[in-house]
Amino acid sequence: MSARNYPYIIPEPCKHLVDYKLKHGLKGYTLIRDLLKCSPHGRTMIDKSKSEMPRCSFCSGYYGRFFMCLICSSVTCCITPESNHTLLHSESVGGHQIAVDMERAELYCCVCCDQVYDPEFDKAVMGKHLMVLPRSGNGLVGGGQMRLSKRKRLDFGCDLDSKSVKRMVLRRKQRSKSSLPVGLRGLNNLGNTCFMNSVLQALLHAPPLRNYFLNDMHNHESCRNSSVGRLCLPCDMDVIFSAVFSGEKTPYSPAKFLYSWWQHSENLASYEQQDAHEFFISMLDRIHEKLGKANPAVKENGDCQCIAHRVFSGLLRSDVTCTSCGFTSSTYDPCIDISLDLNTSTSFATDLASKPSKPNETLVASSLAGCLDLFTRPEKMGSDQKLYCDNCHEKQDALKQMSIKNLPLVLCLHIKRFEHSPIRKMSRKIDRHLQFPFSLDMRPYLSSSIVKKRFGNRIFSFEGEESDVSTEFEVFAVVTHSGMLESGHYVTYLRLRNQWYKCDDAWITEVDDEVVRAAQCYLIFYVQKVFHPKGSEDLSCQPMSSPADLFVPIAGCC
Amino acid sequence: MLLLSDIFEDLLDSIIVDVASESHRIARLGLDRNLDEEEEELRLSAEARARASNPSHSGETNGKYVVDIFGQTHPAIANEIFECMNCGRSIMAGRFAPHLEKCMGKGRKARLKSTRSTTAAQNRYSRGSPLSSQSRFSNSTTINRLSNGSSGIAGHEYSNGKLEEL
Repeated sequence: MSARNYPYIIPEPCKHLVDYKLKHGLKGYTLIRDLLKCSPHGRTMIDKSKSEMPRCSFCSGYYGRFFMCLICSSVTCCITPESNHTLLHSESVGGHQIAVDMERAELYCCVCCDQVYDPEFDKAVMGKHLMVLPRSGNGLVGGGQMRLSKRKRLDFGCDLDSKSVKRMVLRRKQRSKSSLPVGLRGLNNLGNTCFMNSVLQALLHAPPLRNYFLNDMHNHESCRNSSVGRLCLPCDMDVIFSAVFSGEKTPYSPAKFLYSWWQHSENLASYEQQDAHEFFISMLDRIHEKLGKANPAVKENGDCQCIAHRVFSGLLRSDVTCTSCGFTSSTYDPCIDISLDLNTSTSFATDLASKPSKPNETLVASSLAGCLDLFTRPEKMGSDQKLYCDNCHEKQDALKQMSIKNLPLVLCLHIKRFEHSPIRKMSRKIDRHLQFPFSLDMRPYLSSSIVKKRFGNRIFSFEGEESDVSTEFEVFAVVTHSGMLESGHYVTYLRLRNQWYKCDDAWITEVDDEVVRAAQCYLIFYVQKVFHPKGSEDLSCQPMSSPADLFVPIAGCC
Repeated sequence: MLLLSDIFEDLLDSIIVDVASESHRIARLGLDRNLDEEEEELRLSAEARARASNPSHSGETNGKYVVDIFGQTHPAIANEIFECMNCGRSIMAGRFAPHLEKCMGKGRKARLKSTRSTTAAQNRYSRGSPLSSQSRFSNSTTINRLSNGSSGIAGHEYSNGKLEEL
């Protein structure tokens, strides 16, 4: 994977293409550029004559696929391998070996009988798009009011680094030769609180968040807020971290935390079933409230530096394109998670293991990749949603497309498992299984990839594109739900040192990979690969002997 | 003579070649490099599901009579006793939430002027044991999220740090 830092492999040109370039240089490309027709959707075709359909110079037919010779511009057709006038042309006139597919503006080598690629050709094509599309909004250049973030991707600060945590943890004397990872401790259910327990377990093991608290970055004893008697959820979190990483095996009751949370969140404070995702959002919001404003040293790009945002905040981009002129306006919105609709189209791969005689929803699976594709798919906005186009100066039909501009350190994916039927006025839960990978590469969903795809994946560098962004993630926690919309149970699976643990309130057990794969996921937590190298030690495995000694401050950092 | 089927064939061929051309570029430029891994993941997932749905498969023990990784067993309702931080009374962990709700005067049940007997209230709370019902998806949120219309999410802005009213 490390060899593929750049987005593309640039294929080696065949010798016929090389010969052509040597003899004719970029002349042919420049000529083609004038004939290119660019659609507002990013499609490119060759349009030789504005008024007539292309006809083959050999047979005068207008069937089949048309190719235009790069050297003499003659148009020929190719219907079948037997009726290939393009090949005939290249054989009859020496040296005319490279043609261009008129339908898609792709280079074709008649001798190799294959589509070939040249970055300079792609550059010419993109050049035409840039010329033709409205300057101020084409999705390629600039696009929106966003200041490009100058923050380096992997500079997450040493307070989120696990090296210093390891040092503190290793200071403990080894009491027993337990090979269990640190930080595994059951959480007692206080009465319908499994929604809270499940999210807490995931957060307790989110590497940057865990490192932050274990590095003593928010000490509940020295925090200003709690000393004045004010509510401070980060302090309550700190207490939980201490308790869970103390090495105590008996389950912990997060009672004080519940009390604090209820004091914060009036509308959610009741003994009843709750939604884990709501709780997650609510928690991060409370942490931000306390820590976001307290830090006056906000970085120059305006991003909040509270721990909740530093760990979970990403940036989404939304492009709205006028279908008439191609004018694209891009807006950026921060997000702390991504909610995905289930992709309901059937996948062929599910037939591998099970062949249902009557396919119904519970047997057919969706995939996370499918959901992400659905999320980033261009969507036709309804005719009742015509938008005013700044270029056309009237209301037009539009396409909307989402993509991810900045990836967070920890990516929380929320699967929308509920369906609301406006007709029947009721909600129901979607039990459809979702396949999710343990290793996830988010590159195809980045804004740069999505925009490139829009223009046919041409080899071209886009402004503001950062090809060294790390896009590889590893799953570390999955919050699953079983049961019905009104009543069910949440369980979290944690992945520590390549072993999965089931955290079912007070009960922590070891489970196999396949149990996790077969479970019904609701919240999936991925962390950037740098925080979760596979197979290596996360933290030392020695259990703590006494909680008091855990936070001996160390000088310096890292 | 031009047949309708000829036109259809031509259109169909055109679409097929378009897709082939697009996929060819994706493959040649290495944009689908994860294909093998993706297929492997799909295969593993399908196998896992098949095994899980197999009735003879013992599967994970779902009961609460399980021994955890530390070799411990726990009662269905957590029986750790501690002091309520609101009123000071000693409460059992598994009954803490319903107690706290009343204690803090929160929640629907507490806010309703209770003319109901204490016994009825106790029965209501004892229904929500950890074994049975736990959580649901809050309906108000689902309506808000689904009616958003687009497949994108509502931007979670933290302008004032206030939780948006759900």
